[in-house]
Amino acid sequence: MTDLSRSRLWVMRLSFVALALVILFFHLLPLETTPRAWAGPDLLLGFACAWGLRRPEYVPSLFLALVFLLADLLLQRPPGLWAVLALIGVENLKSRGRHLRDASFAAEWLTVAVILTMVIFANRILLSLALVPTPSLTLNLTELALTTLAYPLIVAVTHGIMGVRKTAPGDLDALGKRV
Amino acid sequence: MAKDRSSSSDFTGPLRRLLLVVLVLALTGIFLLWRIDSPRVERFRAQVTDRFVPNLDWAMAPVTGTINLLRDFQSYQRLSEQNRELRSELRQMQAWKEAALQLEQENARLLDLNNVRLDPRLTFITGTVLADSGSPYRQSVLLNVGARDGLVEGWATMDGIGLVGRIAGVGKNTARVILLTDASSRIPATIQPSGQRAIVAGDNSAAPPLDFIENRELVRPGDRVVSSGDGGVFPAGILIGQVAADPGGRLRVRLAADYERLEFLRVLRHHGNETVPDTAHVITSDGPLADPAAPVGVQP
Repeated sequence: MTDLSRSRLWVMRLSFVALALVILFFHLLPLETTPRAWAGPDLLLGFACAWGLRRPEYVPSLFLALVFLLADLLLQRPPGLWAVLALIGVENLKSRGRHLRDASFAAEWLTVAVILTMVIFANRILLSLALVPTPSLTLNLTELALTTLAYPLIVAVTHGIMGVRKTAPGDLDALGKRV
Repeated sequence: MAKDRSSSSDFTGPLRRLLLVVLVLALTGIFLLWRIDSPRVERFRAQVTDRFVPNLDWAMAPVTGTINLLRDFQSYQRLSEQNRELRSELRQMQAWKEAALQLEQENARLLDLNNVRLDPRLTFITGTVLADSGSPYRQSVLLNVGARDGLVEGWATMDGIGLVGRIAGVGKNTARVILLTDASSRIPATIQPSGQRAIVAGDNSAAPPLDFIENRELVRPGDRVVSSGDGGVFPAGILIGQVAADPGGRLRVRLAADYERLEFLRVLRHHGNETVPDTAHVITSDGPLADPAAPVGVQP
């Protein structure tokens, strides 16, 4: 039993990394070489939130940090800053996961929206404090709005297709114990 | 059972928190390091990209192809309309072609008469676009040529028609091109025919504005913008685009290069403009006169 759930734990951890790589892959496809007035949803952060809330043990902080840092490096962002803010945001969500487990989806959505707002604006403020040119506010706001709007979809995919669900009473946790 | 779990979280909790603190400190450290010593971290970034992206090429090419195919398929719906437009455009073009041929012949005759040699060292390497910047905040593309092919940071990149950007970040097999539309791109340019100097300053929009024009009165929409070669970074005289005025009255450049489809890009090999660092030495019967630029006190 323990072996089985342990191997499942690692399968799910690796599949989160694979998911992140797939998202980065689609980001990097050379389809969009003209500047856009709006930014798409940040799927990577959205999925990290959804997974972190449901099964914190599937997204350990080390994996999150490495994936976000890789995204920073590949997507030409200032390396480290977005990664550290996203990591803190997702860890914060993880710590709330137990309280949100019994709450409705609306409460979860609201919490995630607050976290996303804080991550995006903290990024902006810290960039301007470090005297790095900040991107235009429209891009940030559209990214925030679209990520928030996409969150239910992300949750649907996480829950329905990937099978990452909230632990229910009677489920086994990662180490084969009853929750 | 609840007790059991809480004890296990007592055991792993502090450890996990310690790991988190270490990770946060490490990532913050990376950001600060980037802020302090950007070139080193950017070189590291180029190496990571160089290791990572070419491995995905086998998958990227077919997926990009398929998506472009689907986009083209959508445009088939407007086929007859497009056909009509193209026909009328073609008629106009034929007139232009005639004019261009005559000018070309005239130009060739004049060049011949003047015995002009165009810069013979300006050769180019062509690369294909592997990936774009991946985020709407930055405008850049990744080429499949790199240090292996002798690329050097700062070289100009163009498609068949106009300037596209400059090389910034060279890995072994890949090189990143910062496009003219990127917010960090600044290219010195000359506006013809008035000869005004200006800077094409990207601002993450499709038509970068012209900054630092000496005399705005002399610049009119429709004027050609070419690279000026100031600063010795770029070869002079590469077409950038045409001047256009936006509704706010600000002068911008409508870029000549086709940014919709950047597939093949030319990287111009450029070995620096010839500079004349000092005045000519005067040679007398006793040999050359002392170099005025030489440090004082070297000669006894």
